[in-house]
Amino acid sequence: MADALRETPNREDLPRVGSAGVIENGRYMPPPADMDGKTWVRTTALVQASPLDCYELWRNYNAVPLWQEQIKEVRITGPKISHWVWDVDGKTTEWDEELMQDEPGKRIAWRTIQGDAYNAGEVIFDEAPGGRGTLITYLQEFGEGKAKTAIDTVRNRNPKQSVIENLRHFKAFMETGEIPRTQGQPHGPRGMSGNLKAELYGEHIKTPPGLKRAS
Amino acid sequence: MKAVCWMGKSKIETLNVPDPALLNPHDAILKITKTAICGSDLHLFDGFIPTMEQGDILGHEFMGIVEEVGRDVTNLKRGDRVVVPFTISCGNCLFCRKQLWSLCDNTNPNAHIAETLDGYTPSGLFGYSHMLGGYAGGQAQYVRVPFANVGPLKIESDLPDEKVLFLSDIFPTGYMAAENANIEEGDTVAVWGCGPVGLFAISSAFMLGAARVIAIDRFPERLELARKLGAITVDYSEEDVSVLTALKDLTGGIGPDCAIDAVGMEAHSNDLQYVYDKVKTALFMETDRPGVLRQAIIGVRKGGTLSIPGVYGGLLDKVPFGAAMNKGLTMKMGQTHMQKYMKPLLERIEKGQIDPTFLISHRITLDEAPEMYKIWRDKKDKVTKIVIDPWAEKKAA
Repeated sequence: MADALRETPNREDLPRVGSAGVIENGRYMPPPADMDGKTWVRTTALVQASPLDCYELWRNYNAVPLWQEQIKEVRITGPKISHWVWDVDGKTTEWDEELMQDEPGKRIAWRTIQGDAYNAGEVIFDEAPGGRGTLITYLQEFGEGKAKTAIDTVRNRNPKQSVIENLRHFKAFMETGEIPRTQGQPHGPRGMSGNLKAELYGEHIKTPPGLKRAS
Repeated sequence: MKAVCWMGKSKIETLNVPDPALLNPHDAILKITKTAICGSDLHLFDGFIPTMEQGDILGHEFMGIVEEVGRDVTNLKRGDRVVVPFTISCGNCLFCRKQLWSLCDNTNPNAHIAETLDGYTPSGLFGYSHMLGGYAGGQAQYVRVPFANVGPLKIESDLPDEKVLFLSDIFPTGYMAAENANIEEGDTVAVWGCGPVGLFAISSAFMLGAARVIAIDRFPERLELARKLGAITVDYSEEDVSVLTALKDLTGGIGPDCAIDAVGMEAHSNDLQYVYDKVKTALFMETDRPGVLRQAIIGVRKGGTLSIPGVYGGLLDKVPFGAAMNKGLTMKMGQTHMQKYMKPLLERIEKGQIDPTFLISHRITLDEAPEMYKIWRDKKDKVTKIVIDPWAEKKAA
């Protein structure tokens, strides 16, 4: 198998199949394409913490509003059911989620079972190659097509971008105990151009509080 | 408080703005005692760095007294005197752990903008555009310092502010430029640009074993400072002076072993390429004027090293990469990994090996800053470095 190369002092065994479909039979696989009124996003992060620590923070539903954008509240309402409240400038959207997979230190998967928005996804925690922390792969599917996604991009946050930002917040929170922020800093008058740019850069979307985890 | 605000291209105003507050558990609030205007602030002034917003507080070279600390700040307490590095680093990501502090993964809240342009984001910076975080800067009376356990360097000796202020950027930046140039004992080093970073690169090159330094600029006061540090100077604006010929004449035809581009994206020259770049940048067909980079690639010797502390912002045109490849050059660059250099350089200052105040030409108030930006840009009034006392009142005329 590895006969072609005889000296590979640090090579690790290759997975034949990788998390969230990133690798299949040793080949890199692109993320699923958007089609049939559904949008997919796959994003990854390298986090300097153990897979179990990452899993535990992610799995702590009470802590979700600390690091996910615009999530006001998550309530556990059943053995595998949770109720989510999404708040965009005071306008809330609510749904119930069912936990589909729950493997400590490895994997969490979920899907919406009822409510005003649909999503399903999984997050996978792998040991990173070379012992460099945890490689998180986050795959999520939204029940909205390209037109709705485009409207969201203009009016609020593109859902794909919001998943990417949430994983970024998670990583910062995990590694440093806080989420970097500039909202609330002093500045001179922004004027029309300043406000327009801030809007364009997504700076009006509230950075989650990221206070230290309650033990 | 008073703060120097960017209000648009070529438009700087000193305004009254709210005081900063603690926003995160690792924040500290500093009462600024001294701050400075950096050469790279001119790229903001001239509108060369995208993603500035009207109202942004400028300034990334500052020091002060800790006024207040957040809940999780353990290294500092109220009353500590500190110099703050211009880069913001978390201390715990893969990059900080590898001492690549200016490439920290966790300090840019607008990482997605930098990712779009650069592929990945560098660390957040104070007062240096929203693609690099949008953090309020330190040309002000107070500033919020995030990740205060990791950045600020405590000054426990009674050295005056002015002697340690430049540990916030230009001294470490000049030093890393010299270190990146792979200087070996006896080497000849050419430095383009004798502004503060260039001057610190010259003195650092000698500290690291250079036998000769060739300094290139056009302003007499800067060239004089370079000669005072022991460099041979080349004034490229003089009639009949060709930098490339000068480099050959001064090295027996082989060229300098190391080249340091301490100029960056707004290079000047007296030839056609300057006109070319002026036209192309005006038409938004390139973003930077890389005249010095081109000249350094051509001028450095075969197998030499090119070190680039000068700031580049975007897309460059007609860079002679073939020359770089065929001459087997090494190139090293980047924003300064501040935490790696601040302490050892403070020790050098404490031991009296260098007195960084040699380049200060102007000491001003915050109210005088807007006017000073123009003087700094136009290099009038023999300006070499401007230090601001944010609490001084405007001098009576």
